[in-house]
Amino acid sequence: MLHIILKTASVFVLIVIGFILILFLPREKEVTVFSGFHIEADYPFSFELYLARIENFTDHILTERGFGEARTGRPVSEEAGKFVARSLKIVLPAFMVSMLLGTLMGAVQFYRRIKFTGKLQNFLSWMFSSIPDFFLFIAIQYLFILMMQHGLPHFKLYGHENWYSFLLPLISLSLFPFLHMSRFTSAALENEMGEEYVRTAYSKGLGDFKALLHMLWNCWSPIMNQAQLVMLYILSSLPIIEKLAGYNGAGKELLFSISSNDELKALSLMLPFLFIMFITIILSQTAKLWLVQKERV
Amino acid sequence: MQMRLLTWIKKHALFCLGTFLLLLLLAITFAGPYLPFVDRELTTITYILNEDKKPVIPPYPPSEEYIFGTDKSGRDLLSLIILGAKETILLVACITVLRYALAIPLSYLAHKKWMGTHLFLKWLNGLLSYIPTIIIVMLLAMLPPFLLSDYRPFFLLLIIALAEMPRAADMIKLEFDQISSKEYIYGGIAGGASPYRLFRIYYLPFLYSKLLVNMVTDLGKVMFLLGQLGFAGIFISQDFVQSMSGDWQLVNKSISWPMMMIKAFEDIRGPIWIPFFSAFAMTYAILTFNIFADGLKSFFTRKIRYI
Repeated sequence: MLHIILKTASVFVLIVIGFILILFLPREKEVTVFSGFHIEADYPFSFELYLARIENFTDHILTERGFGEARTGRPVSEEAGKFVARSLKIVLPAFMVSMLLGTLMGAVQFYRRIKFTGKLQNFLSWMFSSIPDFFLFIAIQYLFILMMQHGLPHFKLYGHENWYSFLLPLISLSLFPFLHMSRFTSAALENEMGEEYVRTAYSKGLGDFKALLHMLWNCWSPIMNQAQLVMLYILSSLPIIEKLAGYNGAGKELLFSISSNDELKALSLMLPFLFIMFITIILSQTAKLWLVQKERV
Repeated sequence: MQMRLLTWIKKHALFCLGTFLLLLLLAITFAGPYLPFVDRELTTITYILNEDKKPVIPPYPPSEEYIFGTDKSGRDLLSLIILGAKETILLVACITVLRYALAIPLSYLAHKKWMGTHLFLKWLNGLLSYIPTIIIVMLLAMLPPFLLSDYRPFFLLLIIALAEMPRAADMIKLEFDQISSKEYIYGGIAGGASPYRLFRIYYLPFLYSKLLVNMVTDLGKVMFLLGQLGFAGIFISQDFVQSMSGDWQLVNKSISWPMMMIKAFEDIRGPIWIPFFSAFAMTYAILTFNIFADGLKSFFTRKIRYI
């Protein structure tokens, strides 16, 4: 257990360093004014500059004992915290929906695989998992707009102020990971069908449902391994969906800070994301150890 | 004869559906521009007079005249999408081919553990399993040496191809690892085949079907990534122009699908049909690629099972 945590933590540190190294590649503009009518802008790119920038950054972190103050005068970490908290309201439910409901749905799909409804469900989940989340989001909004034009009561589709603002992004973000988990669980269960213990379970007179529980318990290991992928998918799509929704969260701010070359802010927003990934890996590995019998690991 | 054809189609239903959709997509891409209702000139409209003789400026919503509506300069969106298909599909195909052209040699080297390639690949995959691809691509694409280069489109193609290359390489490496324990590989080694010859004649032919399936799946993934990058304001064919104030600005000159999303965040609050239909075109392409990939997969696995 301790071994896994230490290993994951060292990987995490390496990845944070790697990300900082990419982030601080020189990308600043240097404007030289020759005269009133002659201005030249240049983007110098040299190794010395790169070193100086990294040195500058470490100095800044050491002297400020943190990220220091943002242009608004408030501490960067405080601002980042506000945005991240807003995004967590989407990320955590999306993750939970995908992992718990997705697994449950996969088990249901497997249970009914021979029946028509099961086949239909299989086809639909396969079909819908090809739909990109940004299209789903725009399509839902377009639909609402058209419906509002035809008499649906008006409500705000954009922004982050209303209590229901997080629902639309949440739905479009969780659809793909949810379907992925459902398909993955169903496939993992199908892999277990030929195992001997299933035959034993049936020979002891246990019904389909009890046998399914046996099989599900043996699938925890591959299912838990998907947690990282699900979280990565949610975090990858978060910036775009937040920006489309006008939801002022960490993802939207991250996009903005990267395109406006504000490295400190980008780092302060990216670090929580990396940390979420780290926690997800630790938790899923712990859950795996706890759920799976030793012999099958 | 007809019966046999029917049973064959029934047996490979997914493959046939995928092929049909793919052919349709290719037909739209290459023959579409010559359809009668497609405005090849992409005429712009300044304004149209409405019933009260008041000028109305574009964009116009979907109507009988413009099925998909028009964009902000009054160009017919349907024509725009059909004319832009060729460029988009070409870009996606280029990126995927480039990705696999790089991934296959790397995975073989990693499989052979040549000069620590396997550790490098492992580290890259670790990095990419933490950081979203779109963030990496954004960070690299905004770097001045690429931004200002005359070959910017080429560099961007390379960056996007490289961004997901380690994942593909890792998957191929697993296949190599599996194949290497087969008897005929030992036969090849005993026969004195060089590593290159082993790679070409002993390993690769067994991977063709899997590579093809994965490449088609990746076409869909690349299209998705291009869409995301489009929303983030990064496109492959952009020109970089210095404005009066000395600032650099990105200027569009292409009509590929992601390009129509450049103003998506404004459009979504007004002429939402512009991002909607370009995203719809991408969704159709992604769906086609996924169905075709799954069809190919079942086609190949069935073939192997019946030998």
